[in-house]
Amino acid sequence: MRDLRTPIGIFFALIGLIVAVTGVATEGRAPLETANVNLYCGLTMLVFGGLMLWLARRSA
Amino acid sequence: MTLAPVDYVILAIYFAFVLGIGWIVKRRISSSEDFLTSHRSVPVWITSLAFIAANLGAQEVVGMCSSGAKYGIMTAHFYWIGAVPAMLFIGVFMMPFYYGSRARSVPEYLKLRFDEKTRALNAITFAVMTVFSSGISMYALGLLFQLVLGWSFTASVLLSAAIVLIYTFLGGLTSAIYNEVLQFFLIVLGFAPLAILAVSKAGGWGGMSARLPEVMTHTWTYVGSASKNPMGVEAFGLMAGLGFVLSFGYWCTDFLVVQRAMAANSMSAARRTPLIAAFPKMVMPFIVIVPGIAAVALSHMSVGYAIPPKAGGGLDYDQALTTLMAQFYPSGMLGVGLTALMASFMSGMAGNVTAFNTVWTYDLYQGHIRKNAPDSHYLWVARVTTVVGVALSLATAYLASHFNNIMDFLQLVFGFVNAPLFATFLLGMFWKRTTGHGAFTGLLSGTAAAAATHGLTLAENKGRWLGSVIHEFPSTMAQNFWIAIFAWSTCFVVTILVSLASRPKRDEELRDLVYGLTDIPHDRDLPWYKRPLPLAAIVSVALIGLNLLFW
Repeated sequence: MRDLRTPIGIFFALIGLIVAVTGVATEGRAPLETANVNLYCGLTMLVFGGLMLWLARRSA
Repeated sequence: MTLAPVDYVILAIYFAFVLGIGWIVKRRISSSEDFLTSHRSVPVWITSLAFIAANLGAQEVVGMCSSGAKYGIMTAHFYWIGAVPAMLFIGVFMMPFYYGSRARSVPEYLKLRFDEKTRALNAITFAVMTVFSSGISMYALGLLFQLVLGWSFTASVLLSAAIVLIYTFLGGLTSAIYNEVLQFFLIVLGFAPLAILAVSKAGGWGGMSARLPEVMTHTWTYVGSASKNPMGVEAFGLMAGLGFVLSFGYWCTDFLVVQRAMAANSMSAARRTPLIAAFPKMVMPFIVIVPGIAAVALSHMSVGYAIPPKAGGGLDYDQALTTLMAQFYPSGMLGVGLTALMASFMSGMAGNVTAFNTVWTYDLYQGHIRKNAPDSHYLWVARVTTVVGVALSLATAYLASHFNNIMDFLQLVFGFVNAPLFATFLLGMFWKRTTGHGAFTGLLSGTAAAAATHGLTLAENKGRWLGSVIHEFPSTMAQNFWIAIFAWSTCFVVTILVSLASRPKRDEELRDLVYGLTDIPHDRDLPWYKRPLPLAAIVSVALIGLNLLFW
């Protein structure tokens, strides 16, 4: 592993994708929240993971 | 709280990644220094995040949220006058000696600076304390998962310990540090949305302030007298006890955190580690404390949320964090939140295991048991110690589940031992006249002073075991702060007196160990954002701003 950002990027991209897809597919809502928390948080993690991967690529 | 398959999938992916990182790092390990000190090769952004993450154990996360619910934003004092100023101090003033001495551990610095007995005292107490605190946090985690998810105590404790064991066994400190970075991001991304959701549901900071007693939303307004705030502390005790003695004692001398900075790849990186770490550390209260305050506000709002009651009466604030997660996270994010909780536990435990490992292998085994073995032998000892350390932690966790009183007693004793430490380091680093005899007797008398203060005072029915009560404190927190103040002062004075009466080391022996005999790098050729002083100045300004904002 040359750069720790690569595994971290893959991890958050993967988790973000799973959570975002869960948000779209199940429309699951928490008891006290009406927003689609999974979709927004999933996308945030996906973007963060992508950013890490981009930084790792850029410096490679 | 019930989990859906997707939550388990997320947890499983996390386990796979931490083990995978351990597996990849394993190839780099060929000597005991690779395993125990990362061979001083880690880039600064990684050491700084690991520096905070190692302290951000599950007890810290759950406990800070719980204190937020109990005491309000005053809890942020632990960060804003506690941790952050101490982190600035170690980065700017102390790291040149730790890193420049080429010691492999904090006790080893004491050996180089003072003598063998001072190192042995520090190494032994540190080793015992680390094992115990990792066992106690393991116990807390097992209890929480049992309560919230109905998981078996044994299964969750064994599973999480086994995973930490495997990745630290494979890749040593490097593996622990790399994983701490992943864990840090997971903790932030897993808990920050909860803070945002809970606060906005409670009507934002304004809505929360309107619903809660004033004292919950101010840090300084009510510390004029102890009776006015729920912590029962007054400004001097808070600033001197927490802000100076306890925080500096922890952040500047505890090998668990210092080890992260010592693994950095240059002196400049080692100094910047705590300074860069101070930036995220400053805003951590918004992620770990504010949700607790929001929980109290929400339970006043009849939206269907309440902090669950405790079996023995009162409210179980320790459940504030997990109950909020259950109310605001749907399956999916719930898995991420629980994984973040697991991650915080693992980062804390791996921190304990790697620090214990190094101190045992280098300071106790190599220092006292077998001095001149080939390095491969010490690498082997370090690997075995990883297993033994985890096994001892597990044993402590079980002990804690059966004998809670013993644990309370031990934590009290550890507090006595830790309280005077910072005086020893301060004198050792900045006054070359300080001697080994001075440091050793100073530490012992500081510990004795701490015990005596506890034995002669009373707070919430704690203390008084020396028979008479000289003073009664409004809270155990105030008592702890004052114990620390007396311990520190006693150690400071005794160390000076004994040092003056004993023979100092020669200047040549103290090169790179003491102020005045060490070249402090000024890094003039580096850009300003890579120099310690400008970084520390920015943090200080931001810190003052935060204190004023929540005054």
